[in-house]
Parts: sequence; C-alpha cells; structure tokens
Amino acid sequence: MLYELAQSLTSGLLIGGALAVLSVGFSMAWGITHVLNVAHCAFAVLAAYLGYWALNRWGIDPLLALPIMLPAFFLLGVAMHTLLIRATARRAHDLGLATMVLTFGLGVVMENGMLLAWTPDPRVLKTAYSALTLRVGPVIVQAPHLIAFGLAVITIGALYLFAERTFMGKAVRAVWQQPMGAALSGIDLDRVTTIAYGMAVATAAVGGVAMSLLYTFDPATHLSWLVYVFLVVILGGVGSMLGSALAGLIIGLIIGISSVFIPLAWNNLVLSGLLIVLLLLRPQGLLQR
Amino acid sequence: MLHVEHLNVAYDTLQVLWDVLLEVREGEIVALIGSNGAGKTTLLKTISGLMKPLYGSIRFMDETIAGLPPHDICQRGVIHVPEGRALFPRMRVIENLELGAYLPAARAQRHHMLERVYRLFPRLKERWRQDAGTLSGGEQQMVAIGRALMAQPKLLMLDEPSLGLAPVLTEAIMDVLAQLNAEGMTILLVSQEVQQALDIAHRAYVIENGRIVRSGPADELRADDAIRSAYLGL
Ligand SMILES: Nc1ncnc2c1ncn2[C@@H]1O[C@H](COP(=O)(O)OP(=O)(O)OP(=O)(O)O)[C@@H](O)[C@H]1O
Ligand SMILES: [Mg+2]
Repeated sequence: MLYELAQSLTSGLLIGGALAVLSVGFSMAWGITHVLNVAHCAFAVLAAYLGYWALNRWGIDPLLALPIMLPAFFLLGVAMHTLLIRATARRAHDLGLATMVLTFGLGVVMENGMLLAWTPDPRVLKTAYSALTLRVGPVIVQAPHLIAFGLAVITIGALYLFAERTFMGKAVRAVWQQPMGAALSGIDLDRVTTIAYGMAVATAAVGGVAMSLLYTFDPATHLSWLVYVFLVVILGGVGSMLGSALAGLIIGLIIGISSVFIPLAWNNLVLSGLLIVLLLLRPQGLLQR
Repeated sequence: MLHVEHLNVAYDTLQVLWDVLLEVREGEIVALIGSNGAGKTTLLKTISGLMKPLYGSIRFMDETIAGLPPHDICQRGVIHVPEGRALFPRMRVIENLELGAYLPAARAQRHHMLERVYRLFPRLKERWRQDAGTLSGGEQQMVAIGRALMAQPKLLMLDEPSLGLAPVLTEAIMDVLAQLNAEGMTILLVSQEVQQALDIAHRAYVIENGRIVRSGPADELRADDAIRSAYLGL
C-alpha cells in the first residue's frame, strides 16, 4: 500500500508537470490578453497529432518536431489574434465572453477538421523511449513521464525568464498590470498583446506533445483536457505562470492519490466536482495573492 | 512647440471640451487650472492619444498628432504623467523606471537617464528593489515622474502631480519641476495647487466647463481679482 502510494505520487507529480504546461498558455491568454481561448486544448491536440504524424510518417520524434511546431503555432496565434480577436475586441463589451463564444466555434471547427484528417480512432504514441523505465529507490519512473515533466520545466522556466528578464517580457507584464501606464510609456498595446497571445498558443503545442506522451488522444480529447486546464488555472490564479506550475503539480498529485483509492473511471468526476467546489469557495483562485 | 486648436472632445455622446485653444512654447512651464470636472484630464488624455478628438487639431513640432496612438505620440517626445500615476504596482521601482525607456531611442540612453532620475529623487535609489505598489504616495509620484523622464520628454505633461500629498512633498515636487525647466524641459502642468503652480509657471490657462476662459502670463493671473477669489481663496 505504502509502496503503491509512493509510486502513484511520483507519477502524479510528473503528470502534473504536463498539466501545468498544458495550462500555462491558457492562463496567460486569459489573464494578459483577456481572451478565454476554449480552443486552447484543440491546438494542443493538433500538436499531438502533428507529433504523431511526424513520427509515423517520417520517423521524426515528436520532441524533434517541436522546434518546428513552436514558431508555426506562434504564428498561428499571432494570425488568430490579429484577424479574429482584435476585430472582436473592437465590437465586444465583454471580451472574455465574446472570445469564449468565438473560440468555442473555432474548437468545433478544429475538432471536425481533425476528425476528417485523422478519423476518430484514439492514437497511442509509440516512441523509441515509450517502454523505458528508470528505478529510483523502490519507485519506477517511466521515461515518457519524465520527458513530459522535463518539457514542462523547460517551457515554464523559459517563460518565467522571459517575463522577468527581457524588456519585451516586462512590457507584457506592464500591459497586464496597467495598460494605460504601459501605453503612456511608449508600449504598443496591440503589438505586445498579440505577441503574448502567440506565445500562449505556442505553449499549447508543448502541452499537447507532453500530454500525448502520457495519454491516448483523439479529436474530441481536447474537451476533457480543458477540464484539467480550467481546474489548474482557477486553482493557480488567472494569469500567474508560477501559479499554473504549482497548481498543475497539485492537481497531478490529486490524480495520483485518487488513482489508488478510487476507480480510474471516476477520476474526471472527482476533478469536475473539485472544480465546482473550488469555484464556490474561492473563485479568485487558491494561490492568487 | 505644442499647438491645440478648436479642439472638441466627447465621451460617447457627452461632449466635455469645446473649441479649446492652447499653446505651449519651447522652454515654458504652462499651468492649466480649473475646478473639478472642468476637463483638464480630458485635455491631457487627448493630447497624449488616450482619447480621440471629435474635431480640431493638435500639432507638436509642426506635425499633426491628433488621433495617433499613444505609443506613437510618446515616441515624438510628448510624455504624460497621468492622474493617479498608473504605475505598474507589482513591479520593482527599477523596472517601472526602465519601462519608461521602452522605446529604442530612450533605451539606448537609459543608464545615463537613470543616474539623472536618482540624482533628482535619491529616495528612489534607496527603494529600487521595492514593488512600486508598496511605496508611499509621494514616492509613487516620484516614480511616475522618474518613469516619464526616462522616456526623454521634449514636452512633459503632468496631471495633478501633488494630489493627496503633504505640503512639504508638494513643494518638493514643484521644486523638481522648476529645476527641470531651468535645465531646458518644457512643461504643461495641471494642478489643484493653483498658488504654487502659478509661482513656477510662465503662463497659464483657466478652463471652465470645457472651455478656456482666461489665459495669460502667470503674474497677471495671480494678480487678477476674479482668479484670486475663485481659485486662490483670497
Ligand atoms: N470616462 C468618462 N466617461 C464619461 N464622462 C467622463 C469620463 N471621465 C470624465 N468625464 C466627465 O468629463 C468631464 C471632464 O472631466 P475631467 O476628468 O477631464 O475633468 P478634470 O478637470 O480633470 O477634473 P478633476 O479636477 O476632478 O480631475 C467631467 O464632467 C466628467 O464628469
Ligand atoms: Mg483630472
């Protein structure tokens, strides 16, 4: 029992990393650009398919495909923000609500596109390291889990350094904290917001590849991932990168522990219940200062 | 340097500025005074591009700037210290200052300018690591002015920089403005501290209900009976 718990906690923690990187961009987009992108996980599933495709078509590992996917998804985000979201922002009073409706439609379109391209059959990513394991004391760590976690650490770490150390990163935080002050300091709000949004969509590609290392996926999977993402972002506080990281790990641990005590099928039920309780008790997020 | 002519501005359907005429010449301190709700903030916001005029022209150094976005106007050297300061509260003092020098031209000079800001406000050098939101009102105003200076203004516009500050601090801020002006900075100052503003200003405009009702040399307005009873409480 104790051994089983240690095992579940370890894999839960690693899964938590994947959830964190899946969520961090959603949180950024919502907090900084006020876009509630419910198609975020559709982008992630698209990246999962592209990684799968790269591997099975050309024998390129999804991890190696990521450096190409990142700029592509960034540009996709930039285009989406420039063409769709800015136009919506000019007309809408409540940008969050308007973009939620807009991106819900986009998510449906993307899901159907992926159904046409890749059928509804669930896919399992089988990489060269899928079956590799690592023994740490009594605990067995699966290589894909470790890699997904590593992707999360690198991505969130890089985002954090960008925000804290670079002029552009500071401009993004400035726009978030005080748009008028930012505009008066010479920051082009449209440009900075679009860049932040592009980065948010780019992280969805990392999140999708990380998740595909851990779970099977099909075009409809994005909705169940979205439940995780909402949970992480509400818990971590909208817009907070470190909040997403911490909340991802917490949710991962909860998934790990609950897998010991309750049947797997109930997992989503427990998490959705948790989301509702969280919204009732602390709608501003647990970790928000 | 700055020419505002026939400026009309509205919030949706509520017009608040009517046919405003105002000029700031190079090297001047110009004070803009008027009671609550007269339209002072709206005028500065329109000059800095936060609001679009209904009608009228704004020219800065012989170029039309009316209707341009704020970052563009900022790049031309018109820097606005807004009412309420609009600092970045969860960023350090130093980060607030550096962001003032966001545009490339200012960024290249930022170390030099930072020295100058620290010389004007030694307090900020002591507090450089602190989040701006944790500072006192007076210190926050120093950050706001410092951030504006980092942008290397040709025209510095300040909206009630002494609002809510103790008299000593108000005086200190006015001294800094006078000193900046002595070094060549052109300033447009909105202030409730009419006496002190007129003391450092060369010329002044009086705005009432969205219209400029008086203008002239600061001494002349200070000696005017109507101004004395309406704004100086004498
Ligand atoms: N966001 C807004 N929407 C609608 N009306 C506004 C808005 N802001 C200001 N007003 C109105 O515009 C008029 C001018 O306001 P403004 O803030 O420019 O005055 P002010 O001279 O700066 O006043 P104060 O001394 O109080 O700062 C006022 O009648 C005010 O009620
Ligand atoms: Mg005002």
